[in-house]
Amino acid sequence: MLYQDQNKNTIISYLLTLFFIISLAVWLKTLDLSSSWQHAGMINFSLGFVLIAAYACGNILKATRLPLISGYIFAGILAGPYASNLLTLEIAEKLRLVDDLALSFIALAAGGALHLNFLKKRSKAIIINLVSQILIIFSLVFIFIFFFGQFFSLIKNFTSTQTAGLAMLISVIAVARSPSSVIAIINECRAKGDFSETTLGITVAMDVLIIIFFTIAMTIARLIMTATDIKNNSAFIALSIEMTISIFIGFILGKGISYYIKRAGHDLPLFLLFVAFGVTKASSWLSGFMTEHFDIFLHLEPLLICMSAGFTVQNFSRTGADFIDSLERSSLPIFILFFSMAGASLNLNALSMCWALALCLAAVRAGGIFCSTWISGMINKDPAHYNRNAWMSYITQAGVAIGLAKLAERQFPEIGTYLVTIVLAIITINQVIGPIMFKIALIRVGEAEKT
Amino acid sequence: MKIFFALLLIIFLAFSGYHLTFKRLKLPFFKYKFYLTGIEFLFLGLLLGPQFLNLLDTQTMEGLNPLSALLLGWIGLLFGFQFEVSRLRRFPEQFLTAGIFEGISTLIFVFSGVFFALTFFSNIPIPMKIVTAIALASAAACTAQTGLAIIAHDYPRKRIKTVKLLRHISGINSFFAITAFGTAFFLRMLIFSNSISILIILQHIIIYIIACVILFFLYSALLAQRREEDELTLIIISMAVLTSGLSSALNLSPLLINFLAGLLLVNTSTEKERIYKILISVEKPVYMLLLVILGSYLFIDSPWIISLGIIYFLYRALGKFLSGFIITHFNTKLKKHPSSLGFGLLDQGGLSLAILLDFYRGFPTDISARIVSLALITVILNNFISPTLLKRLLNKAA
Repeated sequence: MLYQDQNKNTIISYLLTLFFIISLAVWLKTLDLSSSWQHAGMINFSLGFVLIAAYACGNILKATRLPLISGYIFAGILAGPYASNLLTLEIAEKLRLVDDLALSFIALAAGGALHLNFLKKRSKAIIINLVSQILIIFSLVFIFIFFFGQFFSLIKNFTSTQTAGLAMLISVIAVARSPSSVIAIINECRAKGDFSETTLGITVAMDVLIIIFFTIAMTIARLIMTATDIKNNSAFIALSIEMTISIFIGFILGKGISYYIKRAGHDLPLFLLFVAFGVTKASSWLSGFMTEHFDIFLHLEPLLICMSAGFTVQNFSRTGADFIDSLERSSLPIFILFFSMAGASLNLNALSMCWALALCLAAVRAGGIFCSTWISGMINKDPAHYNRNAWMSYITQAGVAIGLAKLAERQFPEIGTYLVTIVLAIITINQVIGPIMFKIALIRVGEAEKT
Repeated sequence: MKIFFALLLIIFLAFSGYHLTFKRLKLPFFKYKFYLTGIEFLFLGLLLGPQFLNLLDTQTMEGLNPLSALLLGWIGLLFGFQFEVSRLRRFPEQFLTAGIFEGISTLIFVFSGVFFALTFFSNIPIPMKIVTAIALASAAACTAQTGLAIIAHDYPRKRIKTVKLLRHISGINSFFAITAFGTAFFLRMLIFSNSISILIILQHIIIYIIACVILFFLYSALLAQRREEDELTLIIISMAVLTSGLSSALNLSPLLINFLAGLLLVNTSTEKERIYKILISVEKPVYMLLLVILGSYLFIDSPWIISLGIIYFLYRALGKFLSGFIITHFNTKLKKHPSSLGFGLLDQGGLSLAILLDFYRGFPTDISARIVSLALITVILNNFISPTLLKRLLNKAA
């Protein structure tokens, strides 16, 4: 009874918070902003608004035993440009800087969460899962779009080569995951054990592999759609070089971070934020600089650099514990910001345009995940309750998938808009249900800490 | 892209710099004081600004406006936390009256002088004259506690009463400085719109009140229950960002609104110690960033600005001296303190700088940059001269 009363009071206090903050936001929307100082104020207000509204929404959902990040995402959707427009596209674009920073920070955490000993121990399970998931999900989604795509209005007028190209790209994107969501849920549930660590290992490894597969898929799609013979393999060589350089820079950076922790150690969360920010912006600057001055296309992957740095600190130094501790201490605002911005960018217009196709694809993808995890579990001789629930851990999709779709949009203008619309619609579904399902899976396998 | 690197650079300098300055250096007194108060970051800002390297150019600085607003808000919150009524009550009554008198008298003295000078030597509109005079008077009324703390540390216990009095006065006068400066924002509409009406000012006051009431309810709702450390940190950061943004968007002073929020929290919240710990944990980097940003606004295009800066410095010193003299002569309980008490209150600290930044951003007119520059020259002069005067004062105190 006492617990229920407390819970009720908590929900009331968060609802009040939402009421006050929304009142403020509505009031500010009526203002005519003239000076740059006022515009700067609006950016700050929006940032504060997102943080507090998402925090309140997250805790309201938590009281109903749903994951916090679902609350952050819902807050983002409701405040975002496709719903209430309290957070306009312009402001959301300006907050992209902090969003990028958050993503790099999460990548540091993802790398830091991977323990070499565990990866060695579970390497067989991870490899089998990766192979089976890539093959099965890719095949099922490809077959569905290629053979049944014509029944959906959005793509019924496509030629067979266009359909094949679209199917190729969407199928690869369907394999992509959201390591950030996985880390957030594991942190929230304080989950520990083989199930959660294997999920994390697979998700992070898939994030790296997907970049390679997507490059291959783009090359094949180009082959199909332009009917030309691409003989040179420069794209793959360039990609390999970029990835190797990114991993190497990450390694050096990781060594630098561990040296800092050992020698100085103060203000570590702020230092890591600085590192994440520096990596994101320096990579993007270097890419532009090399293209502009040397005509060399060098795209260093900030996420890979940060993951590699985190992995190095965790596994090749003695400062891993301090590193993780400090990441965890600053994770709350980072997660709130990242997931609420992710929510704000979920395209409801795209979903309304192709909801039937998106639902079918999400279902096919989920089916593919179920089959692949079941088969992998059987081969690995994992416990039966792991096999029953493993598929629920891989539903989430976010930033990487959107990034890949946007990249393909530029490369294939004739199908790009359709591709992005479909991908955004699928991600909207997966990102809403994914975190909830993963939390349920962790509870069912008994790895979520009891609260 | 430039804005990102500018931001990266100043954040890096602020964090690395404050650790060098506050934790490592063992230097002779003069240099120590120079580094310890962080005034070198003002010069760094000047170097990075449009006058030299132009890394922090006008466009980049406009891009950094959200950061500036947040810094002002954070400083406002910090100062609000200095006014815990139960703690203030512990000091003798004469300390409180001395603080109030010193704050108000310096404000009035400098305001009158500046307003008089502007009336005779400039043709800017009257509301802008009033605002400029208020800004300079508010910046003049403040006293830094850092310098006081550094020097007092070297003095024996027998002078501790004078040090306590100085500290108390320097704490109290910041209240008058912030509130006086905050009222200047009521005149903003008169400067930037053509119509002059009492209704506009009233409307502004009502907006102030509504904003404060909503923020009060928000803070109350969020702090209604005990939070984990990371949640409390999130709430304080978010609220500081939100409040600063709200004030800037409404053309109010982020410094004042956050000051009022801090005042409210320290006197009502059961979490005040934990909140203060969060605020103070980034106090030094916040000041360093403030100094770098202000340094980039330092704009000396003629020797007149330096001359005016020196005049302002001397006039302010006179105001401080006179108020100290009156306090020690007319308050019987404070007669034992040296009559040159005001010379112990010359050092201008973070609050003066924050007021200048708030003024520059809130009232962006042609003369704002020059006003801020001359005031910054005074801050630099005080930084060099005040330690010697304070030492003399403490030598006299028996």
